[in-house]
Amino acid sequence: MLLFLEQVLNGLQFGVMLFLLAAGLTLVFGIMGLINLAQGSLYMVGAFAAAFTANYTGSFLLGLLGGLAAAALVGMAMECLILRRLYARDHLDQVLATFGLILFFNQAMVMLFGRQPLRAEIPPFLSGSVEIIPGVPYPIYRLAIILVGILVAFGLYLIIQRTRIGMLVRAGATSRDMVRALGVDIRLLYTAVFGLGALLAGLAGALAGPVFSVQVGMGDQILITTFVVIVIGGVGSIRGAVAGALLVGLVDTLTRAFLPGILKTFMSASDADGFGGGLSSMAIYLLMAVVLLWRPRGLFPAHG
Amino acid sequence: MSALLEVQGLIKRFGGLTATDNLNLDVREGEIHALIGPNGAGKTTAIAQLCGEIPPNAGTIRFAGEDITALTMPQRVAKGLARSFQITSVLPEFSALDNVALAVQIAAGSSFRFWKNARADRSLTDPARALLAEVGLGHRGDVRTSDLAHGEQRQLELAMALATKPRLLLLDEPMAGMGQTESRAMTDFLLSLKGRITMLLVEHDMEAVFALADRITVLVYGHAVATGTPAEIRDDPAVKAAYLGDGEEAV
Amino acid sequence: MVETRRQFIVLGAGLVLLLVLPFIAQALGSPQLLTIGTRVVIYAMAAASLDLILGFGGMVSFGHAAFFGLGGYVVGILAFQSSEGTALFGFIPGATASWITWPAAMLVSAAAAAIVGALSLRTSGVHFIMITLAFAQMLFFLFVSLKVYGGDDGMSFRRRNEFPGLDLRDSTAFYYVCLGLLLAFLFLCRQLVRSRFGMVLQGIRQNERRMGALGLAAYRYKLTAFIIAGGGAGLAGALMANFLRFVSPDMLHWTKSGELMVMVILGGVGTLFGPVFGAAALVGLESVLAGWTEHWMFVLGPLLVIIILFAKRGVYGFLAGIGGPKG
Repeated sequence: MLLFLEQVLNGLQFGVMLFLLAAGLTLVFGIMGLINLAQGSLYMVGAFAAAFTANYTGSFLLGLLGGLAAAALVGMAMECLILRRLYARDHLDQVLATFGLILFFNQAMVMLFGRQPLRAEIPPFLSGSVEIIPGVPYPIYRLAIILVGILVAFGLYLIIQRTRIGMLVRAGATSRDMVRALGVDIRLLYTAVFGLGALLAGLAGALAGPVFSVQVGMGDQILITTFVVIVIGGVGSIRGAVAGALLVGLVDTLTRAFLPGILKTFMSASDADGFGGGLSSMAIYLLMAVVLLWRPRGLFPAHG
Repeated sequence: MSALLEVQGLIKRFGGLTATDNLNLDVREGEIHALIGPNGAGKTTAIAQLCGEIPPNAGTIRFAGEDITALTMPQRVAKGLARSFQITSVLPEFSALDNVALAVQIAAGSSFRFWKNARADRSLTDPARALLAEVGLGHRGDVRTSDLAHGEQRQLELAMALATKPRLLLLDEPMAGMGQTESRAMTDFLLSLKGRITMLLVEHDMEAVFALADRITVLVYGHAVATGTPAEIRDDPAVKAAYLGDGEEAV
Repeated sequence: MVETRRQFIVLGAGLVLLLVLPFIAQALGSPQLLTIGTRVVIYAMAAASLDLILGFGGMVSFGHAAFFGLGGYVVGILAFQSSEGTALFGFIPGATASWITWPAAMLVSAAAAAIVGALSLRTSGVHFIMITLAFAQMLFFLFVSLKVYGGDDGMSFRRRNEFPGLDLRDSTAFYYVCLGLLLAFLFLCRQLVRSRFGMVLQGIRQNERRMGALGLAAYRYKLTAFIIAGGGAGLAGALMANFLRFVSPDMLHWTKSGELMVMVILGGVGTLFGPVFGAAALVGLESVLAGWTEHWMFVLGPLLVIIILFAKRGVYGFLAGIGGPKG
């Protein structure tokens, strides 16, 4: 039972990571109609920059800022130079061009940092565990991540529901043409939205460093998972991103933690591990297939 | 003359907006029936429900006595209901002949053939050429559709719709974007079809409407406010009120 | 598909080059050339099968490598069962004869495509891309988890399949078998694309709404194309497995799907023969660039972006003077 609680928290923490990535991705897709595979690369850039800066300066917070800055700068460059030309193109072109960006960034990281993972340390003020319920110690750092996620989600909610920019974002998610008709400088809006997404990806990367390993290609796998989140949650909606991220985070973590154990009751240990590992990797895709067959537009689609 | 198409109590809502508000309409076999109304009256929405593109919230549609409200678009086409689009919707990369030949092929129902060259199949290209000639495009068959003039594309639309051998043709603004000469040619052509094919026509071009229509229904805010012959409609006070100050062409 | 003299010349030159490649390799004393050529031919088949649904049917499937890998694994598993002397699921014996394993690979891939397609084609747009990706990932993880077949590391086997009258261990013989199959596949695709079915498929890509208005239910046609493409990819996978005498889950990974898409684009989408040029371009680029620098993807990435943004006709499109921004 205690193990279960711990895994639930792990699932929430993974869900937060996914949400940070998914929020940017879903807004960019919902508003600009752009499928951006390079979002995973921004995550990776954030992670590397944060780890490098933290190791160099000895301060986690400076590392965090470094990660955010790097992701934002790279993101803006990406948007200005390349993505801007893709908004009008069809999805195939976008997928392929951003796939090319992934190849580029992965190699760039190898060239800059080599193939070995980079060390990223949990800062002293966040290290150690705390007993959330007597007898259940849980790492403070992971709790901090969950807290950050809640704050970001709340902050996004405020921005989108309560500010003028947020109104434009909501309008843009339901009708791109309408926003243009309102006379808003659409390019500025797009850049702002993309910049926000890049920052969130960088934040996720910077936070992920100490928990996952900082290595080349870390963006690819989580990117696919992020897309699954968006498809489940519904493209273009933050609510959907929250729901999808939590669902995927929990399903993935819990199956990985408990499925092999369950299988061991009627399979040999090594078979159970192998098969259990495979099944739990498949779990989120099965979930997505089921959701899509029941709700083809996702759980909370923006377009309704 | 019996009613080929009967629409009863059709309702369609989009969120808070009622686009089709208890619409009643009937189209008699062999007639040309025009659907007119001010902008935003819901004409295109009505057509979309009739051909099966969007499902109504309530109401029934009967075609040749049969309830088709639940049928999909391809199923309705099989029953003899065809449409042409307001915004030209053809296959841009194919030639005009390819477009019509494909329509003929689909109407014949035999598309699971994998080997023989379809473009060399006379059973498709002969009827296609005949249809192209009928709409006045006989000499333009080999031109790529995206290279055709706008008016010619509208003619092609019509040829494709005719290839399905419809009993009822739903024409969504066939004159849209046409100049005077082209409109007259299209009007003449539609008149030539009269009697053979029943037509429900949505149009803004009043000259064409009054030249073509046997009966006219006026649609305002999704509801039919008047139905009758052109003469009756011209004198109807409700119709005048609906059009007054709307900037539409004067009757 | 060969409409102009220019196309004819380009295709003819390509064909001649492919036919005499082994002799060129021998004359130059570089057997790597034959290796590269074989890879090009096999990938060309996989890419051509993708072009069928992507370029002609307009279906952007990001999971096509799944069928490629599945075909490879059929060959690998049957070879494994044969050398172990055991039977799959208790009743399917191992096999090493190509006239059994290659059709089996095609059938299994086609069957998988039928299932994946039946479910995925209910969606469209980005959802279709994602769900095909998801299914491919599911299969990827399935094979990763099957430790008995090597899991993550993959599985090698001793011999290539037997082929009537030829010893496939001879690289030249194997090359010609692959080339022959590629040409046969391309011919079949050509007939398909020009047939009534092909016209319908292209019509669906250009304007699915219009096709519906003409009375066509698009789903079954898209599914049929999807199944045929899956079978073709499966055969290519079987050949690749034979070529390397090795299969691994990487053959099913989504990045492999990406590579196939790159080949289709590089060569020219929807041109039927473009994928051959695209496969040649990508494999060739890889070989050349990898010789210069370990970091050749650093160049390939931006190159790809530039091609997508500015030069969409692809290599074949450019050479033969066809294609161009569509619709």
